[in-house]
Amino acid sequence: MPDDESAKLAEKPRAGVVTCPACDLHVSVTEPNDAVDLYRRHANVTGHDVEWERVAFDVDVESDDVKTALTELGEDHPDGVELGRLAAALADNGVAIGETLDAVRDLRMSGEIYEPQDDYVLAV
Amino acid sequence: MTRWNNNRDEIGAVSADITAETNALPARYFTDPEVHEMEKEKVFGRYWVYAGHETHIPDAGDYFTRTIGDKQIIVTRDGEGDVRAFYNVCAHRGSKMLDDTPMTDPGSLNRITCPYHLWAYELDGSLQSTPKSFEEASLNPDLDDDAVSELDPEENGLMEVNTDAIGPLVFVNFEDEPSLSLSEQAGKMKTELEDLPLGEYEHARRYVSEVECNWKTFSGNYSECDHCQANHQDWVQGLELMESELEVNDYHWVLHYKHKEDVDDEMRIHPEHEAKFYYFWPNFTVNMYGTADGYGTYIIDPIDEGRFQLIADYYFRDSELSEEEEKFVQTSRQLQEEDFELVERQYEGLTSGALGQAQLGPNEHTVHKLHRLAQDAYNA
Repeated sequence: MPDDESAKLAEKPRAGVVTCPACDLHVSVTEPNDAVDLYRRHANVTGHDVEWERVAFDVDVESDDVKTALTELGEDHPDGVELGRLAAALADNGVAIGETLDAVRDLRMSGEIYEPQDDYVLAV
Repeated sequence: MTRWNNNRDEIGAVSADITAETNALPARYFTDPEVHEMEKEKVFGRYWVYAGHETHIPDAGDYFTRTIGDKQIIVTRDGEGDVRAFYNVCAHRGSKMLDDTPMTDPGSLNRITCPYHLWAYELDGSLQSTPKSFEEASLNPDLDDDAVSELDPEENGLMEVNTDAIGPLVFVNFEDEPSLSLSEQAGKMKTELEDLPLGEYEHARRYVSEVECNWKTFSGNYSECDHCQANHQDWVQGLELMESELEVNDYHWVLHYKHKEDVDDEMRIHPEHEAKFYYFWPNFTVNMYGTADGYGTYIIDPIDEGRFQLIADYYFRDSELSEEEEKFVQTSRQLQEEDFELVERQYEGLTSGALGQAQLGPNEHTVHKLHRLAQDAYNA
């Protein structure tokens, strides 16, 4: 993305920017879960992985393990952690959005986490 | 004449005559969420809409899925070699059956099986089998097994969606009995495209972009070239804009762009010495290039009233592109990005609420047709 475009996006109070390098797609998102919605829409018609390009909110977790990261984030978000926030935290540690969503599904199916509201999760 | 939202200007229906004062679709039809909901039925539920390219599903059981409005369908090839489409909804209790599967990464199956209770369907949509629990009433003390009637395979099959094709381009129509056939909707575009070897070309690229404007805003931009001189300066250098022509038909229009430097016939898929860009109502384009041996398609899919997804597919003789073809695709992408900036800017202005009804110029007759078709659809 050109520098002036990045600068323009950075001025906006948004959750960040997600990208699909294969499509040269760069979309600024308002809420963390907008990134997940976009991931799903994009994957449905391309099969491509969308990734966080820039995260504009604080998501500092140590682990690249999905459940550990969720437990840590859940302390500050007792009503549920947005999947987009979790994905952004893990992206910093090298975990792709698609991998996070797959892991979340596996954890839900094994009863280790739950979804107090749509696309918000917490560890059991 | 421009109509402002100032309580003085009167907003009217789109005039049949482009020289009349109210020749554009009122602005609210671009920004109102209720219009977006209405369009799901009155536009995308009524006309023939592009589903995909059949070369991606060459064998029986190959399939992809497609979402049009709120409707999710499976497009597959049956045992007879015919392309068919079904709602991706189980006849038992309405579960979505197959995961979303893009045309460019199709799946393959012998039967369509719902994961919920394992009802299985043949590729022609008829019910093939159910688990034993649907044939006997062993858990129900009030019912004898003899009282359980056998499920008729046809009556309990999947709900089929009308399909028809222009060459390898597959279209669907959700009406029970379409008021227009695909031939009627496509007019001479059908015969023109069927004269070309579209099916011999290979899919080379798919780029999907999300753009922050109403889908019709982009459609209008695609349909005219009054903006080209000022905004596509690299591209227009190679064009003879004054010799180009925008041709309007019942449900499609064709942008004929003449190039300054002609290329040999074998460097083009079609015989005419020009680029021919077809816009097919409501949201599909076929881009026959004038200076590259290939073609492209656009699907302009609404996400909501203020966003759409542009699905751009490129077809060439070989899916492995030459350096020149790579460069050609890059130029096409450049045009898209330039247009995205324009339409997002236009939409930002439209959402401010100042404009009640735009005015179209005499060479925006293609946009006028788009607006007239939208109005006809809303009023139908």
